[in-house]
Amino acid sequence: MPTNTTGNAATAADTIGQAERGGGTSVLLRDLTRAFGATRALDGLSIEMAPGELVALLGPSGCGKTTALRIVAGFETADTGSVLVDGKDISSVPAARRDMGMVFQSYSLFPNMSALDNVGFGLRMRKIGAGERRKRAGDLLDMVGLAPQASQYPHQLSGGQQQRVALARALAIEPRVLLLDEPLSALDAKVRLQLREQIRTLQQRLGTTTLFVTHDQEEALSMADRVGVMSNGRLEQIAAPDALYTDPATAFVAEFVGVMNRIPGELQAGDQVTALGSTIPVRGHRPGQSAVDVLVRPEGLRLEVVENGNGIVTTRTFLGSVTRVGVQLSGDVAVQVDRPSAEAAALAPGASVAVSLPAQPVLVAARRVS
Amino acid sequence: MAALAERASEGIAPPRRRMTGPLGVSIWRWVVLVVTAVYFLLPLWAALRFAGIGAFGAVVGEAGFTSSLALSVRLAVITTLLTIALILPTAVYVHLRLPKLRRLFEGITILPIVIPPVVLIVGVLAIAPGVLKGTSLLLALVYVVLAMPFAYRAIDAGLRALDLKTIVEASNSLGAGWRSTLWRVILPNLRTALLSATVLTVALVLGEFTIASLDLYQTFPVWIYVNSQTSGQVSVAASLLALFVTWVFLLAITVLGSWQSRKTGGGEVTLFTVARTETRGD
Amino acid sequence: MDQTVQAPGPVTGPGAPGSEAAADPGPPARLTIPKVLRGLRRAAGIVPFGVYMALFLIAPMVAVTIGAFQDNSGGFTLSNVNAATHGVYLKGFWQSIILSVLTSVIPGILGLIIAWAIFTAKRGRLLRQVAITAAGVFANFGGVPLAFLFIATLGSSGLVSQWLTSLGFDPYTHGFTLYSLSGVVVVYLYFQIPLMVLVILPALEGLRPAWREAAENLGARTWDYWRYVGGPVLLPSFLGCVLLLFGSALSAYATTEALTNGTIPLTSIQIGSFLNGNVIAGQENIGKALGLGMVVIIAVAMVIYVAMQRRAAKWLR
Repeated sequence: MPTNTTGNAATAADTIGQAERGGGTSVLLRDLTRAFGATRALDGLSIEMAPGELVALLGPSGCGKTTALRIVAGFETADTGSVLVDGKDISSVPAARRDMGMVFQSYSLFPNMSALDNVGFGLRMRKIGAGERRKRAGDLLDMVGLAPQASQYPHQLSGGQQQRVALARALAIEPRVLLLDEPLSALDAKVRLQLREQIRTLQQRLGTTTLFVTHDQEEALSMADRVGVMSNGRLEQIAAPDALYTDPATAFVAEFVGVMNRIPGELQAGDQVTALGSTIPVRGHRPGQSAVDVLVRPEGLRLEVVENGNGIVTTRTFLGSVTRVGVQLSGDVAVQVDRPSAEAAALAPGASVAVSLPAQPVLVAARRVS
Repeated sequence: MAALAERASEGIAPPRRRMTGPLGVSIWRWVVLVVTAVYFLLPLWAALRFAGIGAFGAVVGEAGFTSSLALSVRLAVITTLLTIALILPTAVYVHLRLPKLRRLFEGITILPIVIPPVVLIVGVLAIAPGVLKGTSLLLALVYVVLAMPFAYRAIDAGLRALDLKTIVEASNSLGAGWRSTLWRVILPNLRTALLSATVLTVALVLGEFTIASLDLYQTFPVWIYVNSQTSGQVSVAASLLALFVTWVFLLAITVLGSWQSRKTGGGEVTLFTVARTETRGD
Repeated sequence: MDQTVQAPGPVTGPGAPGSEAAADPGPPARLTIPKVLRGLRRAAGIVPFGVYMALFLIAPMVAVTIGAFQDNSGGFTLSNVNAATHGVYLKGFWQSIILSVLTSVIPGILGLIIAWAIFTAKRGRLLRQVAITAAGVFANFGGVPLAFLFIATLGSSGLVSQWLTSLGFDPYTHGFTLYSLSGVVVVYLYFQIPLMVLVILPALEGLRPAWREAAENLGARTWDYWRYVGGPVLLPSFLGCVLLLFGSALSAYATTEALTNGTIPLTSIQIGSFLNGNVIAGQENIGKALGLGMVVIIAVAMVIYVAMQRRAAKWLR
């Protein structure tokens, strides 16, 4: 399916992209706050988006990411703070004039229009003639690989096809900014993967500054230039995907992105922490109390088979080249350790092992009482 | 199913920055609602002035007031029970076993709305057996036909909001029989829809005049008409009273139903659908 | 304790629906005895409903239809139908249709506007409940009480008439009277508008907010949205509801009777007078012919209505 996008699509994209080539659009969200009654949906959110960048807003339900997106789109107003596009404050500009393309979560295609008419709708609003409209809409449908479906109605299209039409529709108006509100959440896994690729490819080719909201970390990490992790209306960290993974700034980010083990330890003087029998330096924020949890990834732990070690193997989960070994440590602590599968095959449940921390700086967080 | 998920996440249309008045509410909406309120309330006010407060007291004392009111209420109760007893199992059955016929059914349930009650009663009186003709039961039986479209739509809407097939299968797999499932699983989840159906049926019966008068029964509306020959003021007062009582009754049921359904996480009770409450996205 | 939710009867084995789909197509299905039986068993659940409707809806209608073609001794005749389509009865049909068209289109549009106002109210939960309950009550409020209300309001010595006179404009000297067709139309609005509001609200709920937002996002103003998306999507439902109002207006009986005392010939009233016995002996079946005529008119309207709804269903899912 993606192969259809070469050929015509390449020329179409280049033609459209040229308009953008002169310089993408920068977007600045400055100190946005929004409260719904007693709940603070946004609590001072600030994000700077570079031209042509794809920024993903990632977080659990209720963290405020969709509210932020809708404020940028103009469907909600912030209580305080402003949105600047290319340096200009657009907070008072109505949604219809913001020149941003938006893709909604699902079922946003106009049911009474064919795919072609849907895509051409924004052009019609801009008073572009019928012939030109049809041509541009056709090119866009071609770009998303749906040229044969041009005369079909939304109810005749699958979910994935509908979202591709929605994407084409948003791009038809050559928007300065592209906004995506969890566009893949309602789709099957396989379709989701294909669309992910397609959206990213298109976005890069066109160089459109894009804000992408999702609760799926895999999606965010694989598509975005930078990912902003949000929680309770605040931005916890915004960084490139790999930085987010290896250098999480807070415990929330560390646990939200990827899998994280929590091992009880004691803070020592001089930025050190003791856990699992070793004392290692602390990285980043030191909690105020001495009872802490050390945060370490499954691939960050060392595992050896010994007699009378500090743990017992409980489970083994085959993940491909790596196997995740569940170990029960003394003191009612359970951890996951990743080992190469060949090695892990020799670890039978019930085997006695020793788990230890390598001598690298670790993140710590206040101990969680469960 | 995706359709269900979509329905669950729909809310009221988002607030829009339109021309707003001092209260931040759209001006045109105010105008429309005020004009509407005037049109509907003005005649009530005029009637009130015409009848005079004293007439209300006189109404209760008039001959036939209690008996006709009692008849209307009795008919409302019987009709409601009959309607629900007939429609509920049918609707459930259609949803479960004959889903393809659902469209057809919706068409059938439109029939009574568009058959003039006048014509219906002509036909009924032509074929009804003598023993039935003498009783008010006949009236109730005919009312069931009149109420059927509204009751069916209300219950159908309630069933559509449930994933009926799934919960019945779940109940099934846990060992419940047909009767248990209907009583313990389906019915409690249809409380608001049943409430809607009840409300609609009661409103219909309490306001129905044509068939009752042509069948020569003195229900409350008929009594008002008959009495109007003697005292205009009293009958106007009676009309207002009937209107007011019905309205309060319906409002109470609707509010009660909404309150109850909100406890169990359902939506507000409207007379035709059970609308999902707004879910605040993140 | 039976294990499956089925109508009373032996538990079906491998023939249960669903497993059939897995089998290969095989030879074309024939209406074999077991298949017919199974079909009947499946239809068993709606038998009570069917019987009830047959007794209290179909049978009366059949009786009316047959009676329309019977003369006094039970023989076949077309004289009833003939009488029903001429003279004062033809006038009655004509007046009924005109009145019904007026009181379905006007309240249709007004009802839509009002329903939209209610539906889009931001903090409107209480407003909605009050409005819908009121609509439910008013939609059933007709006949003599309603007539009286309006006589007290717009009658020759009604409240509003007197107000207008004191402001210098007496409607009655300018040709308006409550007891004419235009007056009846004003009164009909009182229950037709609420009915419209009640039946159009579900359709409004089918208008997804996402469509409005998407349109706005693409540059559409309010008018554009209604012209290209909202209007077309709502149109089938709207027309269907108007047709419903048409049927309701055609059936209305008591209100005009109370207001005009028969000065305006309407089919429904004419039928009523046959039942009341105010007719020449030997012509009772004309009433049935009139009834048949009404049903024919409404049947046509209903067919159009069902077709409209089907089109609407395609979009509203």
